[in-house]
Amino acid sequence: MTDIILILVGAILVNNFVLTQFLGLCPFMGVSGKVETAVGMSAATLFVLTLASAFSYLVFQYLLVPLGLEYLKTISFIVVIAAVVSMTEIIMHKTSPLLYRILGIFLPLITSNCAVLGVALLNINQSHSFAQSVFYGFGAALGFSLVLILFSALREKLALCDIPEPFQGAAIAMITAGLMSLAFMGFSGMV
Amino acid sequence: MPLSLPMLTSLLTPVLALLGLGLAIGAVLGFVAKKFRLESDPVVTRINDLLPQTQCGQCGYPGCKPYAEAIAAGDVINKCPPGGESTISQLADLLNIPALPLDESYGQPGVKKVAFIREAECIGCAKCIPACPVDAILGAPKYMHTVIESECTGCDLCIEPCPVDCIDLMPLEPYTTPIKTVEELNNEEILACINCALCVDECPVDILPHELYWACRGNDLAGAETLKLMHCIECGKCDRVCPSSIPLVEYYQAAMQSLNTQQTEKVQAGNAKQRFELHQQRMETLKIEEEQRRQKRAELAKKGPQSQTKDTILAALERVKSKKKPN
Repeated sequence: MTDIILILVGAILVNNFVLTQFLGLCPFMGVSGKVETAVGMSAATLFVLTLASAFSYLVFQYLLVPLGLEYLKTISFIVVIAAVVSMTEIIMHKTSPLLYRILGIFLPLITSNCAVLGVALLNINQSHSFAQSVFYGFGAALGFSLVLILFSALREKLALCDIPEPFQGAAIAMITAGLMSLAFMGFSGMV
Repeated sequence: MPLSLPMLTSLLTPVLALLGLGLAIGAVLGFVAKKFRLESDPVVTRINDLLPQTQCGQCGYPGCKPYAEAIAAGDVINKCPPGGESTISQLADLLNIPALPLDESYGQPGVKKVAFIREAECIGCAKCIPACPVDAILGAPKYMHTVIESECTGCDLCIEPCPVDCIDLMPLEPYTTPIKTVEELNNEEILACINCALCVDECPVDILPHELYWACRGNDLAGAETLKLMHCIECGKCDRVCPSSIPLVEYYQAAMQSLNTQQTEKVQAGNAKQRFELHQQRMETLKIEEEQRRQKRAELAKKGPQSQTKDTILAALERVKSKKKPN
């Protein structure tokens, strides 16, 4: 139990995937314009990341290891992740079409979100068990969601602020992200 | 180097393993795709609800629904002159894309108009009645027609079919109030809000005046509504404590007014949509009825004129007989 809590805290705060390990920066900048979209993207990533880490663990342990094909792990994980993303896309198109339209290209891009592949590969590297892998993926997604939603809330406020012209748009967003990253560095050494 | 058997097996295992993985995943995806198949596009309905439902066709599509379908398929959102800037900003908000200025090659936004029939000149030809997409013209052949003002969307589709040019489009006097708009207030020299929250303690109805001010200033009406804009009783207590002397209540009034206009427009658009659907149904049944009449006439004509006269003579004899019977 304690190791799972430690994994969760570690993935959410200490080794936050976006702000400390700098993975998954594309959606972090791309879909953080509005809190609503950020929440939708977070939900999609949460779903994909948890499922993908579970499935990649199963594929690795029960398909690749018995056949002695460990060297194929990257390519098979990519296939698994792509399948989970396609499934999410189909289900979301039916259940929440507006979110589907708003997320647009960013939804298929979860496939190439390096955080997802990163979690799957790190699970193998750190020889996590099945439950540990799932919670590591879940924690990573929670950390991603936390940071994405916080950042989008900041950007909503920034949209109304009187920002000097050269800093408007992406520039101030980058500065904000840098400051947030600095703040998250403060968690290092906690676990 | 010739291929040996152990080499072949070591090559086959990974290929087969990946093939199996791919097939399994493909089967699962196929099942999910079948289970969650889409019947109709709900995005179109949401877009259609935001369009003004004038059915004027100025966008180049035959009505609001076809334009909504085109937008869902990727057309630009600035082709609707009757909707103007407010419709464009609502669409941009819904679809999460930047708002564009209205493309004026499709028409001027202008003021809302209604059709007016100069009744002394109307000859009662009834040509304008089927042309009206929302059935807002009242009249019958050889009788004077008139327009139901509250139902007219000002689409100008009745102007063209009128043979005596007795229909005018009259501008509706815009409803004016002394309340300043958000744009006017934003242009005034106002000190910045410093988020001191003095106003929060003052507010008697427990809203967050400074948060509400940000929403109103950014013209975020939906946000203002969730921040309980409509709970404001305009007491002005927040105005008096504000160290930057921001005219908070004026902002709230402006936002309330635009929210109100937006809501009335929505109700009107809903009515117009309903009337348009009924109009289309009516046109459809009229068409079918006419087709049936035409078929009947054609059948009679096929039988030949003689059989027809014979029939009528027989019918007349029958009538006479039946009349005589009671005596």
